Formats: sequence, structure tokens, C-alpha cells
Amino acid sequence: MKLRLEDVWAGYGRVSVLRGVDLTVPAGSAVALLGPNGAGKSTLLKVAAGHIRPTRGQVWLDDQAAGRWRPSARARAGMSLIPEGRGIFRLLTVRENLAMQAGGRDVDAAVEKAAAAFPILGDRLRQVAGTLSGGQQQMLAVARAFVADSALVLADELSLGLAPVVVDEILQAVATLRAEGRSLLIVEQYAKRVLPIVDYVYLLHKGRIVFVGEPAQCQGSSLFERYVSGAA
Amino acid sequence: MRAYLPFVVIGLTTGAVYALVATGLVLTYKTSGVFNFAHGALGMVATYIFYSLRVDAGLPTAVALVAVVVVVAPLMGYTVNRLLLRWLAGAAPVTFAVVSLGLLVALQGSAIAIYGAAPRTVAPLFPGDTFKAFDVFVGYDQAIVVGISVACAIALVLFFRLTHMGLKTRAVVEDGDLAEFQGVDARIVTSFAWMLGTAFAALSGILIAPSLGLDATLLTLFAVQTFGAVAVGRLTNLTLTFVAGVVIGVAISVAAKSVATHPGLAGLPTSIPFLVLFLVLVVSRTGSFVEVTRTRVHQRLTGTTAAGRLPWRKLALGLVVAGMLPAGLEGRQLLTATSTLAFVLMFASLSLLVGLSRQVSLCQATFVVFGATTLGHFMDWGIPHPVALILAGLVMVPVGALVALPAIRLSGLFLALATFGFGILAQNLLFSTSLAFGGEAVVTIKRPGILQGDAAFYYFVLVVVFLGVVVVEAIRVTRLGRILRALADSPTAVESIGVIPTVPRVLIFCTSAFLAAVAGGLLGTLTQSVNPYQFDYFFSLIWLTVLVGAGAATLGGSVLAAVLLIAVPAVFTSRLVVEYQPIFFGVAAMVLAQVPNGIVGLFRLPNMSGAAARSRWRLERGPRQERVALARGARA
Repeated sequence: MKLRLEDVWAGYGRVSVLRGVDLTVPAGSAVALLGPNGAGKSTLLKVAAGHIRPTRGQVWLDDQAAGRWRPSARARAGMSLIPEGRGIFRLLTVRENLAMQAGGRDVDAAVEKAAAAFPILGDRLRQVAGTLSGGQQQMLAVARAFVADSALVLADELSLGLAPVVVDEILQAVATLRAEGRSLLIVEQYAKRVLPIVDYVYLLHKGRIVFVGEPAQCQGSSLFERYVSGAA
Repeated sequence: MRAYLPFVVIGLTTGAVYALVATGLVLTYKTSGVFNFAHGALGMVATYIFYSLRVDAGLPTAVALVAVVVVVAPLMGYTVNRLLLRWLAGAAPVTFAVVSLGLLVALQGSAIAIYGAAPRTVAPLFPGDTFKAFDVFVGYDQAIVVGISVACAIALVLFFRLTHMGLKTRAVVEDGDLAEFQGVDARIVTSFAWMLGTAFAALSGILIAPSLGLDATLLTLFAVQTFGAVAVGRLTNLTLTFVAGVVIGVAISVAAKSVATHPGLAGLPTSIPFLVLFLVLVVSRTGSFVEVTRTRVHQRLTGTTAAGRLPWRKLALGLVVAGMLPAGLEGRQLLTATSTLAFVLMFASLSLLVGLSRQVSLCQATFVVFGATTLGHFMDWGIPHPVALILAGLVMVPVGALVALPAIRLSGLFLALATFGFGILAQNLLFSTSLAFGGEAVVTIKRPGILQGDAAFYYFVLVVVFLGVVVVEAIRVTRLGRILRALADSPTAVESIGVIPTVPRVLIFCTSAFLAAVAGGLLGTLTQSVNPYQFDYFFSLIWLTVLVGAGAATLGGSVLAAVLLIAVPAVFTSRLVVEYQPIFFGVAAMVLAQVPNGIVGLFRLPNMSGAAARSRWRLERGPRQERVALARGARA
């Protein structure tokens, strides 16, 4: 599934956070969205997912204008947002979380898909999700992309606050998602981790796209070093 | 002990119905974040429709019951939810409280306008035969009612545990946004919860109607009695709410048997739910009541807040106009004008809470009633009128402080609930004692000799009201007013600059209570007698809706509210105006709750004091340092 943001302006109240953003995630490609704190990365994802309506511009899903769709409509169209923090229902059990992710249809198949991606989840089905470790909670959140068989996955700061070994396992799963031909839009603070698994890089600064290119072009770019921590 | 068993059976029956109402209310609150004060009123309306279908249209009881519970009530719930949420998505809990109170007033007004105020009897739904269990006779109808209620509770539990819709509902309750991201349309889930909750309300109304009678006032009161159970369940726990509902029902029934021999305690049984409501809210640990409402849109502020000095010119103009009125009025008109003036003071006292500090108080009528009765008692003791009037006001100051107790600890919705409980509590427990009306149920207040003439009394009221209004306006423009406005916006920010919020909150409740009591004293002196039915708890609700509709933020709103409430029905005496007045007020409050200053705010008068213009000028061209600081702030 292809995602395209066309001249998107958006923000909170009177404050514009995004000021004329153009961004494309071609079908089957992985795109990293990088930028310093407060650049508008999370806002951009929220606009893409439908949580915030753009004040100007349009969001395209494949060739449909989706700017006014509700988040749930976009999710049903094949989009998965894994939000910042923990994208799980902490009071529900793992199995109930997976049932939610699958939309209530064929929960057993959903459990199988999730366990294939993250075997540990298969052992914790009856556990209340809030009592899982931070890494397991993030795995459960990422499992949504597999369970719902999403064609487009938006991931916000997947590695935030997690141990390096867990981060590796989750990024491994992201690589699997990409290999399966899904489109990915990944927001990360630490560029080094995602550059190897993406096709394109967008750099967002103060609500505008200041750089678009391939990962190889990033190495040594002065602009890049200025804005992105851990780029080298 | 055995003598109590029949009362336990009766209590279980009503308790089961309480539990049903309360469960529905908690269900809607949890899923939508809107506490629906009109929950019971919706059930009341549904019960009337059931009555019409059964009696007027002649449908079989079962058909009418199913039609109302399965079709009509869910439709009502759907409509209300859509209207409230579509209009007010993201509004503050206080706004939702005001809107649903407006709905309550409008629905009750509509029921009375259509069906008349006289109660009707409802034929029993189930056979009245009895059987014997545990040494006590139990009616089949009682057993069936308990059975239906328990079955509904169990069905609800199963719904949440076993169905995917139940799972989605739990997910939306926990995190509506995340549910949306996972493809669940939260609006559909919320609508469904409202349909279910309203069906519960309708079912309980129909179940209780045969024993309570078809009476809009009683049915609404019955539903608000469940707020106690709802508070025990912290507004979110369905199981606890259900159990508390049953327990409270039994407690009322057993207490009624116990106090049957003590006439002084006659009000105790019906007070139990409100005692529970008030105590649970006041005594609970801080933080045990958390709003589930997700506030996104903040209340817009009025333009009149910048002024740093009293609007002398407006006040003087008002005084002159009011002073010339008696020249053109005669007889009853003058009495109406006097009453309107006294109500200006009452509304001004309420606006200190609702308009200035955005705290919903639902017991203003309590202060008014006790102001009047206390004045009467003091005058019986030989205290001269003006002194007794001030004393009566002062007596209410500690009571105001008592009400402020929850205000310090609780915010928005929970304060509204606590004051609501307090108002009914005072009415049930204290009205019949010698503190208020005593056994005769009336207190006479003699006008002093020089105020015998209606014109003389009018001027006396004018002077008192003018002084009171000056106090209110002074509070608005001084430090206390600024702190309260700031508290309404962000208590955390206020505390962070070193202001302790307790003192201003207590102070404002005390002032409001004092002024309301004085207004009550004036009204009592005008009519020369007060009775318990003149200002019951429901008036607190009506006054709130009138004030919010007219405009709670400025004096103009208080004046307009008094004119709408008192002068309009006195001038236009047609049945239509009088009967449809509450509906108008309720609808106005619903429509205007989110508008900064009600009807008055829609017509902005030219700012006579020029204070707003001055402060704007200062902002734009003022001292260089200020401008630079502002610019820096804006950039950062």
C-alpha cells in the first residue's frame, strides 16, 4: 500500500507543527522519518493515521483521498499505527489484545501469527498485558502488523526505553515485515539502527522536510549530522 | 429480627432496581466520559411512553415493554449521545454536567407539559400472589423484579467477557484512540453503550412505576437516588455499583421500619443514598475519583476578564434604572420587580461559583431556604430585621465552608455530585426540624413597620441587592477573582506560583452562601412566609440551567436570568409560557453551555469602562520591556 502526504499543514490549536510536508512511502518500500526532538515526527504519523486532521493538504492511501477518514477507517483499509509508548491495552490479556488486533475474526489464527513473529507471546496468552515486561509489551504492539496483515505499518519510536537486545529482536521483526512486502514508515531518534533496513530517508526539521534521499547519501552529509543524533 | 424480614424483601426489590439504573449510568459514563445527570429522566420519559403504548394505544403489556426497552429507549440513548458528543467532543466535565442537567430539566418539563403534573397509577406488571420463603411472604412480582435485575447484571458480565463487542467496549474504555488505530470505530461502541445504558434506565423505570406511580418528579428523584451507589463504585466499577445499589435499597427499607416510631427521623431513610453520596465523595482518599473525560477543548474565556476596576458606570446605570422602576409599576408588578431584584442577587451569588471559578454547585436553593427560615427565627427572637438578615447570611457562612470541603478535594463533576447530594440531604433531614420549618411546615416573616409599603420595601431590596452585587463585582476584578479564574484554568499552575488553592475556594463558597442566604431572606420577607415546597432541590438545578443559558460570567447574565425566571412568566401569564419555561431553560443551557457567556455573551455591549481596550493597548504599544518579554515568550 502506498502512502502519500501532499502539502500537509497540521498542528494543535493555532500552532502549526507541520508546515507543508510532502512525503511518499511507495508500495513495498521502507521509509525512515528522522529528525530532532520537536520536529513534528509524531504529529506527521498522527496525521497519516487520522488522529489529527490536516488543516491543509491531503493524505492519499493508494489513490484514495483519505484526509478526512477516521483512524478506524484507515486501519480497516490496511494501515497499522504502532504508537509511541505502548500500543497495547494494559488491562486486557495478551489473547484479548490479539483478538482486538485481529478485529475479532479468527482469533486462533491471530495467535499463531503473533507467536510466529514473537514466540514468547504464545506462552503468555492468558497473562494481563500490563504485567508483561516492557520489551514483551512492545512485541505485542508490533504483533498487530502481523495479526492484522497490514499493508502499511507506521511505527513511532519502537526502541524507546528498551534494552538493546530487545530492540534487536523487534527490529528483526520489522525487517521481516519489510521482506514480506509491506510498506513501512519508521520514526526513530537513533538513525543508525534503522538506516540498514530502509529504502529512503526523510529528514524533518521544524515542520518541514529538509532532506530526502537514500541511506547511502546520509553518511557524511553535513545537514544530516547537524540534525540527527547518532547518525555517524 | 423476624419483624425486619419483610422489609428486607421490599428493600431487595427496590435495591435491585436501583442497581439496574446505576449500572446503566456507570456503563455510559465509562465508555463516553459523559456523566449523564439525565439518565433517570430518560428512563422516566421511556416509562411515560410505555404507559401511553399500554394504556392509550392499548398494546399488550409485554409488547409495550419490549417496544420501549428494545426500540424506544436505545433510540433515545443513541440520539442523546450523538447530540451531546457530536456537539461537545472534548469539552470539560463541567460542560457535560451542565448540558445533561439541562436535558434533565427539559425532559422533566416536557413530561409535565404533555402528561400534566398529576401522578397516574400504573397497573401491576406481574401477578401479586405470594409464596413463602425463609419464613417470610414474598410476592411473585418482587421475585420477578429481582430476577430480571440479576439476570441483566449477569448478561452484562457475560457480554463483556464473551462477546467481541464487549471486548471492544472494554478496549475503548481503556484507550479509545488505540482502539481507533486498531480499526474500532469508537463512536459506534460508545453509541452502543448509551443504547444499552438507556435501555437499563427504561427497564428500571417501568419496573418501579407500579409501586411508585407515574410521576415525572418522583421517577426522576428515584433515579438520582442511585448516585450514591454510583459513587461507591467510583463511577467506574460495575460490580461494586450493582452491589451498592442493592445494599442501599435494603438499608432504606430497614431504616424506614426502624425509624417508624420516631417522627423526627422520618427523613432519614430517603436520605441514605445522598448521605452515602456525600460522605463517599468527601471522605475518600484524594485521587480515588478520577475523571475519565478526555478534555481537549478548553472553555473560551470572556473578554470582560481583563478589567482591573469595578464597572462603576454600568452599576450606576443599573441603579438609576432600577430606582426609577417603581414610578411606572403598580400592585403586583412592583412585587414582581422586587422578587426579580432579589433573584439578581441569588444569580450573582451562583455566578461566583459557576461563572467565575467554573465550579458547579447544585445546592444554591439550600442556602436560599435556610436564609429565609433563619431570618424568620431570628426575628421571632426579637432581632430587628436588617440585623437579622445579615445574621441569617452569616449563619450560612460555615455551611458554605462545609460544602467547600468537597470543592477543595474534588473537581468538576464530583463537586457537582457532592453538592447535589448535600442539597437533597439538607432538604430531607433538616427541613422538618426546628432549624428550618419545624412541624408547621411554614415560617412567617413579618416586614418591619417602615418597610410595610411595597415601594419602600422595593427600595430596601434595591439597596441590599446593589451592595451585594458590588461585592460580587469587586471579587471579580480583584486578586481573589483572578486566582479563582486561574484555578478554573489550571490548579497546578496556580499552586506552582505559591498560591494555596484551599483558601480562595472556601472563601468563594462562603461568600456565595452568604449572598444566597441574604437573597433568600429578602424573598422570604417579600412573601412574608416560606414553606418547604417553595424552593426544593430541583430549583438548584433549574437556576443553574437558567444562569448558564443567560450567561454566568457577567452581571448582565444574572440580571437576564432573573428577568427570564421571574419577570417573564409574571408578564406573560399564559399557560404556554409557564409550562414551557423549564423546557426553554433546559434547552438553552444545553445549547449555550459551551458558549463563553450564554445569551448575554452573544450580544456584546460596547465596553463602557474601556478597561479591555486599555489593556489591549498596553499589550500592543505598552512599555518596551513588556513588549520584548511578550515577543520572547511567543518565540519560545
